[in-house]
Amino acid sequence: MCRCFVVMLMLFFTAPALSDAFDITIISSSTENRLKAGKSFAGITVKPQRSVQRAVNLALFESSALLEKAGVQARVRQLELDFTSDIAAQLNTVSLPGFVILDLPLTDMERVAKLTNEMSIAAFNVRHSEVYLRESLCLQHLFHTIPSDRMYFDALGQFLIHRGWRKVLVVQGPSQRDSERAQAMIASLKKFGANIVDVRTFTLSHHPDDRDKNRPGFLTGGVSYDVVAVIDSQKDYGRYLQYSTRSARPVVGDVGLTPASWHFALERYGAPQLNERYRSFKIDEPLGSQVAMTDAEFAAWSAVKLVSNSINTSNEAAEFNLNAILNNPASQVDLYKGTRGSIRQWNNQLRQPILMATADAVIAVAPMPKFLHPKHYVDTLGLDEPESNCQLR
Amino acid sequence: MPLQAATVVIANERSGDLVFMDTIGDTTDVVPLCQRPRGMAQHADAGSLFIACSDDSRVIELDIDNKQIKRFFSDIPGAMSLALHAASNRLIVSNEGYAKATVLDITTGEVLASLPTGLEPDGVVITDDGSRIFIASENAGLVHVFNGETYQPINTVTTNLRPRRLAIREQELWVSSEMGSRVEIFDIASLDKLDEIIFAPRGFRSEQLTPVDILFDESQETAFVALGSANHVVFIDAVTRKIDKYILVGRRPWGLGLTPDGDRLFVLNGLSDDVTIIDVEKKRPVRTSRTGLVPHSVEIVR
Repeated sequence: MCRCFVVMLMLFFTAPALSDAFDITIISSSTENRLKAGKSFAGITVKPQRSVQRAVNLALFESSALLEKAGVQARVRQLELDFTSDIAAQLNTVSLPGFVILDLPLTDMERVAKLTNEMSIAAFNVRHSEVYLRESLCLQHLFHTIPSDRMYFDALGQFLIHRGWRKVLVVQGPSQRDSERAQAMIASLKKFGANIVDVRTFTLSHHPDDRDKNRPGFLTGGVSYDVVAVIDSQKDYGRYLQYSTRSARPVVGDVGLTPASWHFALERYGAPQLNERYRSFKIDEPLGSQVAMTDAEFAAWSAVKLVSNSINTSNEAAEFNLNAILNNPASQVDLYKGTRGSIRQWNNQLRQPILMATADAVIAVAPMPKFLHPKHYVDTLGLDEPESNCQLR
Repeated sequence: MPLQAATVVIANERSGDLVFMDTIGDTTDVVPLCQRPRGMAQHADAGSLFIACSDDSRVIELDIDNKQIKRFFSDIPGAMSLALHAASNRLIVSNEGYAKATVLDITTGEVLASLPTGLEPDGVVITDDGSRIFIASENAGLVHVFNGETYQPINTVTTNLRPRRLAIREQELWVSSEMGSRVEIFDIASLDKLDEIIFAPRGFRSEQLTPVDILFDESQETAFVALGSANHVVFIDAVTRKIDKYILVGRRPWGLGLTPDGDRLFVLNGLSDDVTIIDVEKKRPVRTSRTGLVPHSVEIVR
């Protein structure tokens, strides 16, 4: 496996100079500390955060033959922004037509996205699922290849209804982000007909006065439910709710059965091939057998593949035109999830199936059977065109 | 009309065995074989069946009559699909995960060539005269074309998303695009795209149609295509390229096989572990029979 990559990389990268250039710029922040991110108490990493660089390089490697055939020379560039000095000046170094992947914390990303939008640079949000980015912010040149909160939670809602688990006890964390996400989840669950029996908030305190808010048995007692849906953005508490609920019921949401856009254990749709390629992509840095792209990495990979897959499917041998590809509703990407992805024209969100997965298995792929839609079944996930306040095209 | 005697051999990738059936669909034997048998090719004159054992990195040559292994071809990693050119004793094997295909001399066991393809090579065909080899690469979205004698790459053909299987009909190359939900037809000499066939069975969306195997009848007037997630097989008038009929089968049909008399089409349902047997003349299923686990491909031998 490894040896073939060396050979192929040489083949692709020693190709003669080509007419069109396609720069992929990964924008990161000089001050973001990823080592601290995603860590719970006592330094346990529960939600790894990595740079999306490996995934972008992999996507470009996979696209090499097609880009070469199309006469397009592509390369990956890193741009680490210093947020203490003039951002716009730093962004001026992006070559046009721009294609940037925003590997940034939320506030930084929003700031940069507004600037790249003014500069008509196509930018990809690959990390943030906040609904408002696709709704009130609604930028013409900002694309979202990471699913929105509503897409993730609609998948959960469909799954619960499909299983007949209608009575849901919602348990949420104390942070602002927890409240926002709990609201998004409740809206999704209600949309598909679930019955929210109660909404409770946990605290991390062990103080006896708080026992109805911190002991799982109390927190989940006194009410009848089919399932506990937990929102715990920090993943500090929710992990310990499993196997500790007052009634013997499954835990879903941020722990237990979780919606995700990618998973190491997806067995179908060619996914094992992609996972193996990702793990062994860097010969010097092979990854462990259960390591897969994070949702952010998968989103970055999807952005690059959208371009190369759509060169592939446009029938004319026309000149390479990045913006034409991104604005073409027929552009598509093979996501290794059984249904091809494409861009929702109203809010620039990549439509895609969502995996419902535990720590070691993909239990279902949403949209679930019988959730129908007049145009695209995957548009039962997330805010649909008539529901969205963002109407870009 | 009585059915002509023939033996149906089904390779099951998960149970690692071959199921032998008669053309009525009664199992006559089950032979444990290897890890993840997938592509097969029959060599009628030699009485042999070649089977790609993907997770054993080898290809097995099986004696069809006594079901004994004649020989192994080892060190063929990720062996997936096979194409046999009997006249020149060559077998072409796509090496999934290794971005190449291996050309074997089946008399000496020698590797004659290693053909560089795109990522995730699957379907392989060679023209009857042995002059051209075509290999589809799922990830790359390309069909690589090689000179069948010198093994020099000639060209690549851009396809729709995820090209899977290839079939040759006269001067046409038919390519199933699994994620593009269509079959594309190219001219073998010029490699120009001639046409494409889009599927639309009633009640289905385009994206639910994931075509894989393509098979022609002996006259090459009818094409059969297995439609994967749509759980249907389709009959196509290969001359006019018009859809004739969609037939409901089991879950996720991929592999197809036709009896030598052309009367029965065997459709392997990979996710329901069974085979749907279709009366080709009446265009309707006559029986569903149990197979091994995850049936992948079928060869029907006299």
